Amino acid sequence: MSTYNQGTDEHRWAMVVDIDKCTGCGACITACYAENNIPVVGEEEIHKGRHMGWVRIERYWEGEYPNVRARFLPIMCQQCGQAPCEPVCPVFATYHSATEHINVQVYNRCVGTRFCANNCPYITRVFNWFDPVFPEPLQEQLNPDVTVRSRGIMEKCTFCIQRIRRVEEDAKAAGRPIEDGEVQPACVQACPTEALVFGDLNDPNSKVARLAESRRAFKLLEDLGTEPAVIYLKGGDAHVV
Amino acid sequence: MSSEATMHPDLAHVEQELKAADLLLDRRPREEMNYEVMRAMERISLTWLIVAFFLGGLVFLGLVLAWGYQIKWGLGVAGINRPVFWGVYIANFVFWIGISHAGTLISAILRSVGAEWRRPITRAAEAMTVFALMVAGMYPLIHMGRTWRFYWMLPYPNQRLLWPNFRSPLMWDMMAILTYLTGSLIFLYLPLIPDLAMVRDHSSAKLRKKLFNILSLGWRGTEAEWKHLHVAMAIFTFIIIPVAASVHTIVSWDFAMSNVPGWKSTIFGPYFVVGAIYSGVGALAVVLVMVRKFMGFEYYLREQHLDNIGKIMLTMTFFWTYFWFNGYLTEWYGAETALDFLREFMTYTGPAAPLFYAMLITNIIIPIAILWSRAGRTTPWMISLAGISINIGMYLERYIIVPVTLSRNRFPFSWGHYVPSPVEILISIGSLSMFILLYVLLSRIVPLISVWEVQEGQVMHVIRRVGRTLVPGVIQWHKAE
Amino acid sequence: MSKQGITRRQFLQGTALAGAAAVISGCTLSLQKKEYLEPYVDMPEFALPGESVWYATTCRECPAACGIIVRVHQGRAKKVEGNAMHPVNEGKTCARGQAALQALYNPDRLRAPVAQSARGSRQFTSIDWNEALNTLYQLISETDPARIAFFGGDVPDHVLWILETFFAAIGAPPPVIYSTHAAWEGKRALRLVNKSLFGVDRLPVYDLAHADVVFSFSGGFLSTELSPVHYNLAFGRMRGRQDTGGPRGVVVHFEPRLSQTAAPADRWIPIRPGTEGLVALALGRILLDEGWARNTAAAPFFAGVDAKELAEVTDVEYERLRHLAQLFGQAQAPLAIPGSAAAAHRGGYQAVMAVQMLNILMDNLGKPGGLWLAPDTRIDGLTPKTEPASLADVRDLVERMRSGQVDLLLLDGSNPAYGLPPEVGFVDAVANVGKVISFSSFVDETSVWADYILPGHTPLESWGYQVVDNGTDRLVISAQQPVVRPYYDTRDVADVFLFLAQALEPARAQLPWLNVVDFLKSRMEVIRNLGIPGSFALDNVEEAWAYWLGNGGWRSKEPLWSAPVLKRELSQAFNLAPEFEGGTEYPFILYPYESPTLTDGRGANRPWLQELPDPMTTAMWRTWVELNPETAYLLGVQRDDVVKVISPYGEVEAIVYIYPAIHPHVVAMPLGQGHTDYGRYAQGRGANPVQLLGGREVDVVKDLAWLSVRVKIVPTGRRQRLPRLENNAGVDRAREVGFPG
Repeated sequence: MSTYNQGTDEHRWAMVVDIDKCTGCGACITACYAENNIPVVGEEEIHKGRHMGWVRIERYWEGEYPNVRARFLPIMCQQCGQAPCEPVCPVFATYHSATEHINVQVYNRCVGTRFCANNCPYITRVFNWFDPVFPEPLQEQLNPDVTVRSRGIMEKCTFCIQRIRRVEEDAKAAGRPIEDGEVQPACVQACPTEALVFGDLNDPNSKVARLAESRRAFKLLEDLGTEPAVIYLKGGDAHVV
Repeated sequence: MSSEATMHPDLAHVEQELKAADLLLDRRPREEMNYEVMRAMERISLTWLIVAFFLGGLVFLGLVLAWGYQIKWGLGVAGINRPVFWGVYIANFVFWIGISHAGTLISAILRSVGAEWRRPITRAAEAMTVFALMVAGMYPLIHMGRTWRFYWMLPYPNQRLLWPNFRSPLMWDMMAILTYLTGSLIFLYLPLIPDLAMVRDHSSAKLRKKLFNILSLGWRGTEAEWKHLHVAMAIFTFIIIPVAASVHTIVSWDFAMSNVPGWKSTIFGPYFVVGAIYSGVGALAVVLVMVRKFMGFEYYLREQHLDNIGKIMLTMTFFWTYFWFNGYLTEWYGAETALDFLREFMTYTGPAAPLFYAMLITNIIIPIAILWSRAGRTTPWMISLAGISINIGMYLERYIIVPVTLSRNRFPFSWGHYVPSPVEILISIGSLSMFILLYVLLSRIVPLISVWEVQEGQVMHVIRRVGRTLVPGVIQWHKAE
Repeated sequence: MSKQGITRRQFLQGTALAGAAAVISGCTLSLQKKEYLEPYVDMPEFALPGESVWYATTCRECPAACGIIVRVHQGRAKKVEGNAMHPVNEGKTCARGQAALQALYNPDRLRAPVAQSARGSRQFTSIDWNEALNTLYQLISETDPARIAFFGGDVPDHVLWILETFFAAIGAPPPVIYSTHAAWEGKRALRLVNKSLFGVDRLPVYDLAHADVVFSFSGGFLSTELSPVHYNLAFGRMRGRQDTGGPRGVVVHFEPRLSQTAAPADRWIPIRPGTEGLVALALGRILLDEGWARNTAAAPFFAGVDAKELAEVTDVEYERLRHLAQLFGQAQAPLAIPGSAAAAHRGGYQAVMAVQMLNILMDNLGKPGGLWLAPDTRIDGLTPKTEPASLADVRDLVERMRSGQVDLLLLDGSNPAYGLPPEVGFVDAVANVGKVISFSSFVDETSVWADYILPGHTPLESWGYQVVDNGTDRLVISAQQPVVRPYYDTRDVADVFLFLAQALEPARAQLPWLNVVDFLKSRMEVIRNLGIPGSFALDNVEEAWAYWLGNGGWRSKEPLWSAPVLKRELSQAFNLAPEFEGGTEYPFILYPYESPTLTDGRGANRPWLQELPDPMTTAMWRTWVELNPETAYLLGVQRDDVVKVISPYGEVEAIVYIYPAIHPHVVAMPLGQGHTDYGRYAQGRGANPVQLLGGREVDVVKDLAWLSVRVKIVPTGRRQRLPRLENNAGVDRAREVGFPG
């Protein structure tokens, strides 16, 4: 634990994903593209499986016609407490931030071994196979708070760390604690059904802390012991009708 | 004591047979041997030039143009994707590391147990190790997203105030490979010294003499020098064995230490070592047959060597089969869902099943069928076929372990599909060509047969008359207590 | 001079030469690479160096008029965020709203006014605005006003008001406003049904958040229809009640296809296409028979209905209908929502009415979790008096164009050449129009038929307002302001007409404002005169203006939605059944739907939306045709086969997507692709299913009956991989082993 930011390391930022509310609309995906300068790769690259989105909504079918259901499962970096991606990086490009308690990806350090991506059981890491292309003047939209990644670099959901930092600094400057709901990653901010909730798990009164206690709560691949910071709320009982 | 004059005709026949069976009994004048080896070294024919330029062209195409193209545009020109983040580059890496094993490890093991027949094959084997390691060592660089930043993986004081992450298997890997490369270079070089001196002594050209003078480190062949050489060889022989075993174990840990279903396995360490030796011996057999054929070394490389190598190959076939089956069975019995997905994909009638069955056929059935009989082992083209088959099989095994395994994971929505791209194929061809080219070039720079070792062996091996027949005898050297 | 080495003299000569060369080359280089230090005074307007500012405005990507705040950094728009103070979306946004930035910074935008040498030639020459405005002025002043026509689509209210006033003043016919999107969401049918039943011409608002059993009839309220962000929010709240001890809302969705709105529902009930009204009739009959109905005023509507017979027709077993009716009938707050597809066939008007009858039966009108009517948005001086046109009105205009009665056609905010079925004949008719002027920001399928394109600002560069016509209980006048200085040499359409009004005598008196800002400021008084307590005081114009911009518009303090009251005696339902064109050689019913990402095609030039996976198929970039697995088997086609979809009106090619949740008699296709123009991201990919439609109209509503053709599927023998996020093998396997979560 570094001494540099000691005042703030009581936060355990976490996200709640309520599957019962998710309508699969994709607002989170596009908001993430806009906030985090994610490039559009085009049809050919999509064929190769190189969609660059940091959050993907997995759509599963259940049952046979006419008793079919579709289920949406939004998956982004789970910001594991015991992250499998961290120990395998030879250059510390991915490591655990002691101050935010999230997994940080340092683009400048990354040499692109892609070991972290293999080792991520949630397949949430994306790689810059090529340099991103933003045809003039689309580059005017790029968020100045977020690096545009060059080719050969791994990236992933950061919980919009630039937004966390902004709020942390504002709160520090004003000498007040961070309020619940003050930090909102782009996806959470956009999510029209409020299926995504973000907050500090260490604050027992935060919305995420309360939802994490829900009987509907579970974590993805909990048996792997990765201690994800993303908590899912399972869908409601479909058998009422 | 036997002498030509008093020998019975039957005994002459026995002597012929003994000599034919064992190089070390088939003694020839040293000068004759020296000249023969050097003649082979100096002969630069048109065919050789064509072959060398052709290989050079392939190396240029694969490792300069294709790799350059990839560096310029990004790894997207390869077929890898999400979730198959590792493709043939890593399969190639593991494959070449495997090839590198036969050489030094075989040579070291045979030296350590005093297997006398090893004498003419050690040089070729050790050279193979070095070249395969050079090729293998390129692959992490080729594979890297930002190749131009490779040195960030090295532990050196830097302005980033950052050591590499020693918890990463990739760091272990890099350390292990560098250690192994250094070790096997020395291991190749030490026994080369007397031969280099031999070449120096027989060279008249000024430049050549100067070059080999430097290379042979001023070797004069004094008693003390020989003693030091033998001591150094003994030390390195025993150092290189654990290093070699650890290298492939560590390579296996790149996979086994991970979280990936199909990689996370406790047997991977020994399984990889066995697989490495297996493919390495297979490659060695092919190399030896080639050297014998194209360098005209029928005198040095005989049926006895092919037979022995073939026996090692056959043993390794069983070892490999055992380890593979052990790993497969325990995973199958574990019935983990993610592994079920993988098994469906690559066995039964799954899309990758042809690779799986091809691996079993080339790795088990063909080698056993060929190597079971002495005829199969000693016929050059047959043992080559077995060696090639084993290497195809082992390549398929690595391919299955890397991209095929990554194609399946715990989230069926995000399964993948991988096909190598032309760039990947060109680079693979380029690296294979580089390996062959290095051999072709080496064959004209140093003697591919360790002449002094053969001569040493011949000095120690004699044919003795015991009663009414002739038997081979060995002069053992013991240090005085 | 020695043989080797350089003499001192040579050396000096050499250095002098080298120095001169360096100076010269240095100069040349510095001439070529001139770098400017941009002084602060030249910074783009609104810019604060190094610090972001957020501007409140209104999203114009669809007519729902969500409030957004746009992050602007150094004079460049960076991010669309929801305006938390806005009653429609309460701080939330959808994907399409986020992509508004890619209209603003689209690489294929028109950068200046252009003249086209020959219509459809795509040979454009840039002209300057003086010339452009002069031409426009000449054309308008010299053309017989009766022979001027304006065809508009989703044009904001302020522009419409100005246009309407302008055209009335010069004696031209009122603008024809026809939004294809509105046709695809069935807005007109909803309004007319309300008018007929409750006597008010307003849209319904469903109190989804407080409903506990929702029956949705082919609705798309969670994807593109009405006010999708609002209804998503309400849906989340309906579900969220379970976390605070309340009952979890349950949704049952009836539709031939499991749509994005059906996916989060608890149960999807596949029905035959166009039988939503019949299902509602059967449910109503059961509710009445079993005594679950709470208000029998609607009983006459259900007279003579045989629920068992309808069960046969709709493909839902009677037992299931009865079970569902019981669920609905015994719910505390039941709510029925008619959707676009219910209204999209010949009997659509009656079908929508039948669904609303369920609300009347359950007596939820004006109750929590029930049916409401949106606040009255007919405000003199703010919203136009002109009714949105029906397809019949469009046909009239097209007929006038075709017969040479239109000398000047002005186009804005719509793309009829792409969005209207070819059978309507818009493109053919344009050929007979004297001059065509478009205000489009892009060269799209319609503006390629223009003689001049005078590009308007994109919404994020524009002033304006929109009176929210549904999706909230308040009266909301949502303000639009430029978040950045216009990026190119474009002009606000409102400004253009205010400018023309200055020059045209009859219009000057009606439109005395010099620019749109003056006009908007003058509207503060109009709002004040409404006398409704609102979010801020309007006494002082400048103060009100500041609030207006800061808050993103004005809204009433109190809810102004109203409880519907049944205004007439009901009679028996009639003509609910759909009718499909095409004989027995066309075995399938074509079920086109608005793409949740590209809507009616307007999103196709936004790369983010092109690469946003369709929620259900996860497909991107192309057009697919969804087939039931059984149907595909019978046709002998597999996923990724390219097939021809042929209707009596046309044919298109699409890639087969095996869709496990679609009625076997139905093939569904998303709208949005198949552009021949509209920029690099849109053109030349996929197909436009509108090409397959005839111009059939819905009874009474007179709008496009897009659910009325049959098609056949003919394999082409070719294959093309559909770009998609999902892994086919994986998803197939997951169906067997179950959901990984």
